[in-house]
Amino acid sequence: MYRQGDILIVPVAEDAVPASVRALPPAARDGRGRMVLALGEATGHAHALTAPGELRRDPNPLAPDHLWLPSGGRLAHEEHAAISLPKGWYRVIRQREYVPGAVRVVAD
Amino acid sequence: METVDRASLLLSWQSAAFATGAADRPTAEAGIAAAYTAAGLPVPERFVWVGSPAAGAVAAAALGGHADALRAAGLDVPDLPPAGASVRDAVRTRPWEEVRAQAHAALGTDGWPRAWADTGALLWDPVNSVVTRVRAAIGGLAEPVETVLRAATLDAVLGQQDAPWLAQFDALGLLEPLRGLAGAARSAGWWWPYENLVIVAERPVELHRDEPGRLHRGDGPAVAWPDGFALHAWRGMPIPADFVRTLDGLTPERIRAEENAELRRVMLEIYGYDRYLAESNATPLHRDETGVLWRIDLPDDEPVVMVEVVNSTPEPDGTSRTYYLRVPPATRTAREGVAWTFGVDETDYRPQAQT
Repeated sequence: MYRQGDILIVPVAEDAVPASVRALPPAARDGRGRMVLALGEATGHAHALTAPGELRRDPNPLAPDHLWLPSGGRLAHEEHAAISLPKGWYRVIRQREYVPGAVRVVAD
Repeated sequence: METVDRASLLLSWQSAAFATGAADRPTAEAGIAAAYTAAGLPVPERFVWVGSPAAGAVAAAALGGHADALRAAGLDVPDLPPAGASVRDAVRTRPWEEVRAQAHAALGTDGWPRAWADTGALLWDPVNSVVTRVRAAIGGLAEPVETVLRAATLDAVLGQQDAPWLAQFDALGLLEPLRGLAGAARSAGWWWPYENLVIVAERPVELHRDEPGRLHRGDGPAVAWPDGFALHAWRGMPIPADFVRTLDGLTPERIRAEENAELRRVMLEIYGYDRYLAESNATPLHRDETGVLWRIDLPDDEPVVMVEVVNSTPEPDGTSRTYYLRVPPATRTAREGVAWTFGVDETDYRPQAQT
């Protein structure tokens, strides 16, 4: 698994990817052709990849998204060193913080 | 639909929702007029511009027959010509319901929540939390007329804060029937449509949010409108207007003595967890290669348990930023705390690369 700031990328075996995830449509890329895993609200800084592949966003905002990289890729962010990801499937998990009575997601 | 650049679309509606600065009055009035026309109604004769949603709610409540009560409660009530009945249902609710039904029919029971999760839901929480705060603050303007004022806020078309739904319909290519409402949303604040006139509120002159998007400011109002109506907040928590200024010379003793748990949390954050820990001679609960686990006990509240995490990528000056994340109070080890923040098991949390 790989951590870039507030994002954890966990490899998933190909046959362990749920059918419900495979059935999701791939999320659209942004204007620069990037798959944006998470976007900081205020800074606009993004955890993003330009590699071939697909991002499957779970309809439940608290559930992890899935990322498929058929030939690997380089995860970039304005404030963190890039991370090279081998080819394969990944779960993309956003860091959260405990709030009494609620849980809030961290965004850097 | 797949070719829509969703991130750009979302960002543009997000900036509309939180836009500050003078309304674009001609565009807003043209949009509102188009919404009347689309609803089969004659274009209203007058647009009455007000300096905040609070002033708009007071005007709307006055039109609803509560002018005397509002004046008796000490509020400034504008003199308005006869407005006729509210036409909010025809201008906003009905066309919006039609488009939503159309989207629902096209996408089905699975597709609709998926589409909403992908677009509208991402804007809903941050926008709705502001709307909820504004409504509460308007209700709080004068206690004897609280119910009347709150009801008036529910009669408003939310203008710029209709952005989550408009972004949703935009992403689905269904915005055309709502073109007028969308034009008004990109140009003005809340508005109240009547047969003969429209009350339209200006946008805020300033609006400050923290990284996760919550209203937040320490040295002034988090949101303020041109007529002086304003909200104060610290990381989303409502605070009294002068609260932060009264915290000069704050001490750990004073923090412990504060009886309101929410305000005490604000005091702790402003004072700084690290400083509080240092000055109260706290010792870490646990330390390992993932970080340090700290605990602060508070009277009549659950303890604050936090992991101190090091950002692995150094800052430009070569230092490494540490940050504190609150974790459930029962957490026992630093690794368990960090693993919890990512929703994974303590034993499974082994990153092979961190930046």
